[in-house]
Amino acid sequence: MSEFVLLTAVGRDRPGIVAAVSEVLCRAGCNLEDASMTLLRGEFAVLLIAKRPPELTTDALASQLQALADRTGLQITVKELSPQESEPLPRVGRPYAIHVYGKDRTGIVHQISSLLAARGVNITDVNTRVLTGSGTPVYVMLLEIDLPPTVEESELRTALEAAARSLGVDFSLQAVDEEAL
Amino acid sequence: MAAREILLYPHPALKAICAPVVSVDGAARAVAADLVDTLEASPGVGLAAPQIGELVRVIVVDAGRNPRHTGQGRLVLFNPRIVAHEGEQFFREGCLSLPDYTANIRRARWVRVCALDLAGEPVQIEAEGFEAVVFQHEIDHLDGVLFLDRVVNRKTDLFRRRPRNTDDNSSCSPDTPPRPPGIDGAP
Repeated sequence: MSEFVLLTAVGRDRPGIVAAVSEVLCRAGCNLEDASMTLLRGEFAVLLIAKRPPELTTDALASQLQALADRTGLQITVKELSPQESEPLPRVGRPYAIHVYGKDRTGIVHQISSLLAARGVNITDVNTRVLTGSGTPVYVMLLEIDLPPTVEESELRTALEAAARSLGVDFSLQAVDEEAL
Repeated sequence: MAAREILLYPHPALKAICAPVVSVDGAARAVAADLVDTLEASPGVGLAAPQIGELVRVIVVDAGRNPRHTGQGRLVLFNPRIVAHEGEQFFREGCLSLPDYTANIRRARWVRVCALDLAGEPVQIEAEGFEAVVFQHEIDHLDGVLFLDRVVNRKTDLFRRRPRNTDDNSSCSPDTPPRPPGIDGAP
């Protein structure tokens, strides 16, 4: 049995969400490990991996979190991870950043992500935002990918150029330099 | 003279404020020699004395050890200070003292560093790009500042307007007090 659980919690943003979720975990003897939590407009989203003490079952933890959900209105899910699933995935290639931006329209994420998927390119991080400050809504998408050795940078660039042209957006593709100093 | 063990966080030496080298004497050069040997035995491009447990202001930088980058060769510096900087760049840094983690850091694109060389003579060095990153990273170590202190949240950083700072403390005058860590004030 794995010791790790994946927890998600989403709810209307307000002070105290992280404290409330971590309090339940802490009281249950769980150790909070990797987490990503962020605010999208007015909604706060929590995604985290916790290590659970051996005597605590996933069901018992889930019911404690359900009590929190009932109390706070957060939507919470708990998923047990197998020992394999709780390990970081090995990186297969080089990290690249793809930035796509332009006049907002339907299908930007879909077209760009589809051409990546068709090449077996894994997306490791996505942030998008609709910027409305200039009058014309502008869509910004920041992607990080793991470019496998089977895909040439130049071929990917050509495909992105074609997609950007058909979407009427601009893009950049650059290798992310990464060094231990 | 020998390669030493590179200390790993949370070793307290990595959070110490290091003392200036009063004179570039045999003891100071011995630290520098060990620092160079340790760098040569590592995959790195720079090291600071606290990383080998010596709480004095000595660094070695050799950006060109990384085949993807170039530099001015190996530079051993005592009491290095960044006295001017310009521009900014993002770079994904890791640290030999904190393995297995990298993060996006905002650094100045160009720096001017004043220091003493191995002969104890004042030197002024300018560096840009990757080499400038290495200088900033190593000099940070002398103040107990780790790259973790400078991680930017990529999302908010790219979407939030930031005022640009300038630094007019650009002279190599020995009276100039050491700059506080941070190219833009607090990390």
